[in-house]
Amino acid sequence: MTDPMPPAAPTALAAEPVGPAASPPDRPSLPPGRWIRENLFPNARNSILTVFAILVALFTYRGLLNFMFSEERSWIAVRTNLRLMFTQAYPEHQYIRVWVTVGLVVVLAGLSAGIWARWGGVTLKRLMGWLMSGGGLVAVGVLIREPSVLTDAAGETVRDDVGELVRESFAAAMADRWVWWAAALVLFGLGLALWLRFDDLARRTSEIPVAWLVFGLPGLLVASTWVIRYGHYAFADGEFIAEPGQLVAMSTRVPWTVIWLLLVGCFGIGRVARSRAIASSQAVPDAADDDEGAEDEAAPELPRGALAKTRAIVNLAWVLSPFFLYWVVMRDPEIDYAHVFSTMLPMGLAFGVVGSAVLWWLTRSDAGEVGRLAAIGLLLLAAFHWVAAFFGWYSMLQVARIAFLLLAVAGLLAPNFAGVAAQRRRLVGAWLFVVLLVFYGATVINAPSTIETPTDMFIGGFSVTLLVSVLTIMLSFPIGVLLALARTSRQPIFRVLSTVYIEVIRGVPLITLLLFFSGVLPLFLPDGMEIAELAAAILGYTLFSAAYLAENVRGGLQSIRRGQYEAADAVGLTTTQRTGFIVLPQSLRVSIPPLVGQVIATFKETSLLAIIGLFDFLRMANSVVPNQSQFLGVRREGLLFISVVYWVVAFAMSKYSQRLEQRVGLGQR
Amino acid sequence: MSTQPAHGDATIAVSDELAARDDMIVCRDVDKWFGDFQALSGITATIKEQEIVVVLGPSGSGKSTWIRCINRLEAHQSGQIIVDGIELTNDLRNIEKIRSEVGMVFQQFNLFPHLTVMDNITLAPIWVRRKSRPEAEELAESLLERVGIPEQAQKFPGQLSGGQQQRVAIARALAMEPRVMLFDEPTSALDPEMIKEVLDVMEELARSGMTMMVVTHEMGFAREVADRIIFMEEGEIVEVGTPHHFFTEPAEERTKLFLSQVL
Repeated sequence: MTDPMPPAAPTALAAEPVGPAASPPDRPSLPPGRWIRENLFPNARNSILTVFAILVALFTYRGLLNFMFSEERSWIAVRTNLRLMFTQAYPEHQYIRVWVTVGLVVVLAGLSAGIWARWGGVTLKRLMGWLMSGGGLVAVGVLIREPSVLTDAAGETVRDDVGELVRESFAAAMADRWVWWAAALVLFGLGLALWLRFDDLARRTSEIPVAWLVFGLPGLLVASTWVIRYGHYAFADGEFIAEPGQLVAMSTRVPWTVIWLLLVGCFGIGRVARSRAIASSQAVPDAADDDEGAEDEAAPELPRGALAKTRAIVNLAWVLSPFFLYWVVMRDPEIDYAHVFSTMLPMGLAFGVVGSAVLWWLTRSDAGEVGRLAAIGLLLLAAFHWVAAFFGWYSMLQVARIAFLLLAVAGLLAPNFAGVAAQRRRLVGAWLFVVLLVFYGATVINAPSTIETPTDMFIGGFSVTLLVSVLTIMLSFPIGVLLALARTSRQPIFRVLSTVYIEVIRGVPLITLLLFFSGVLPLFLPDGMEIAELAAAILGYTLFSAAYLAENVRGGLQSIRRGQYEAADAVGLTTTQRTGFIVLPQSLRVSIPPLVGQVIATFKETSLLAIIGLFDFLRMANSVVPNQSQFLGVRREGLLFISVVYWVVAFAMSKYSQRLEQRVGLGQR
Repeated sequence: MSTQPAHGDATIAVSDELAARDDMIVCRDVDKWFGDFQALSGITATIKEQEIVVVLGPSGSGKSTWIRCINRLEAHQSGQIIVDGIELTNDLRNIEKIRSEVGMVFQQFNLFPHLTVMDNITLAPIWVRRKSRPEAEELAESLLERVGIPEQAQKFPGQLSGGQQQRVAIARALAMEPRVMLFDEPTSALDPEMIKEVLDVMEELARSGMTMMVVTHEMGFAREVADRIIFMEEGEIVEVGTPHHFFTEPAEERTKLFLSQVL
């Protein structure tokens, strides 16, 4: 990604001094009237189609507006229950944990955005377009929305003799909506003022940094909560609070302000680090930089390898953050530390130390057949503990049995790492990491919480949606890649197993799989083995998503030409190195669009959690809010609201993937 | 370089038993089938250290198949192939060892498109030879200098011309400091004006004392650079001789026919 040079530049002649490329002749943009005539009404047939399409759009818009502004709508239900929809009944005195979580994610996001993103600009022309069309859209909406229903002094709707609702006159409706007229005028006026201020060339070439818009607009919103009396609506401790004309609650204003400041602050820190790296690289000019010259000075490319350590740390933090944040949010405030210190910690240490010693012994170069036999013995012993627990002879702690089994598997792999000290250290290191993961997971993730909430789950709503999708995506991605590799492997046993797995999972509806894991699986489990409901759901989603990801990755694998394999073989790379350095990077790059599609699908499919009894985002809107005494049956507002939230997240992911495609495609032609 | 076979390791045959000390590549009665089609039959040949051997023959004669058998991109079915004293068997360790001693240059270059030129060259030295990164990059820079494109190190293969790509491919193979270089029609995919720049690099390499086996259609290169020419047809070696002998007084009818068509 060092070379943002456009493909047309004569790279092969780089040795000669290359002047600035001749720019294409300047073409002024068409006046609006001519543009409309040439593009919308060029001939009779297209004119009819244009009119028809505009009518369809207007009717849809009118229907939406009538729905939203109908006197039957109760948007207060959504406002009152915002907290419920996002975190369910998370205990008030623990709420700081949620804010810490959001804050940490925002810090990472700000840093990443500062260090990595090449923020472009929005041309004045586009900005003016947005402002003016926004104003126009509001004005059209005001005109076409049906007049409001009349109410009498008591606030009851007025009906005529036949029982029909009486609506105000069109003129009265227009007059009533003066706020909207004003908004439309302000938007349109701003756009028009900009338009008149600059000439055509400036409109097309001057840019406003995107970052200003991305950080500025939320900043305005946050700042406005300190000034504008939006009203205070909340549902807390079973009480409905409705105080119109008040400022938004302090417990909302302060955290969001802090979070916005964190975001901007971290973005600034990232930006400074980035510009320092760029400055230090330009101090030592590179031969290759000469012909990039004036390419784009607004957003210079970060030199290759710069900030490598910082980047690695931020990336690692991203990868580890879900696991850490899970602990921050889900930790039982009355966690049994005695149990942790008396059992989990010593057991984990013992497995770490003894396991490492065993593996070190098994990887001696002279371990040979004795080593293999010992590993098999270990496997039999580990399996025996499961059998014993199943029949109830005696039962070892589940986490110990899992660790034992993993140790046996590592033992079987030992001959691959035998001999060379570095390889042996790697195996032992991997083992220690696995032990850490297993015991951390058993202590933190698969432990039921004792905190008292109206439902079994500590947390719900959008948080659960997010939690399940993030963990599912992170866990299913490596499994999917492994499955794809296995399916294209030369080893028939891997190929068959992987194919069977993928075809079975893809042939089963997701909802069946989820019901199986949440309802049926616990019955199959032997005595003494338990699995938290959330863990079961995540397991189901992961297995499902992995099968689909595997097929996407396989598509990428098949696009790699045979020559790439041969070249990797010919320079002496091992199969693992060939896969890791040559095959996977190229095939994952090809599969970005379907992979992101799968990620978005997984995110949306978490709404099925509602069916297996978890309180996710959809269930909050669809059944929890409509059952509140205050808002009986108020369902449609919530559904529209959550659709918008789902859409915003999915659209952001889709946009990000487009940028990612452009970025990784750079070197490739 | 670990050119000495490890004595006492039963899986690696010791050179004394299999081949003379300065025999770099020894093939004995090598047969190879693709299904029912016999691609190689009874190939027997020896290539000495520092020798330049050019393999000629009409297309489909098995030249490429043979050269690809020598670093096991294709497996032969019977006979013996011994490279630098190590016999090629199904043992993966032998194969990996031989591949790290034998450099190969392909007709289609096969550079790794997602890596820069520098990374293309340093990948194997770092991960197979376990060189440190600065050491590998220093080596890569000197090799790029040698093949005449030191300024392209940070570009991606897609930004280079065909001739430049092939020279990078040669540098990539040389970065493993191989004992033998195999060239599988290195100029066949190139535009005419780029062929010379690649042939120049190969000539320079030949003068430096590298053992080379070249499959090519470049008669000029064969005549001027080769120590010996091997002519193949229908999977068999038809004739072996010096360039002078081969181009002026070929013994076999089939060789004469071939030469009359290409010259």
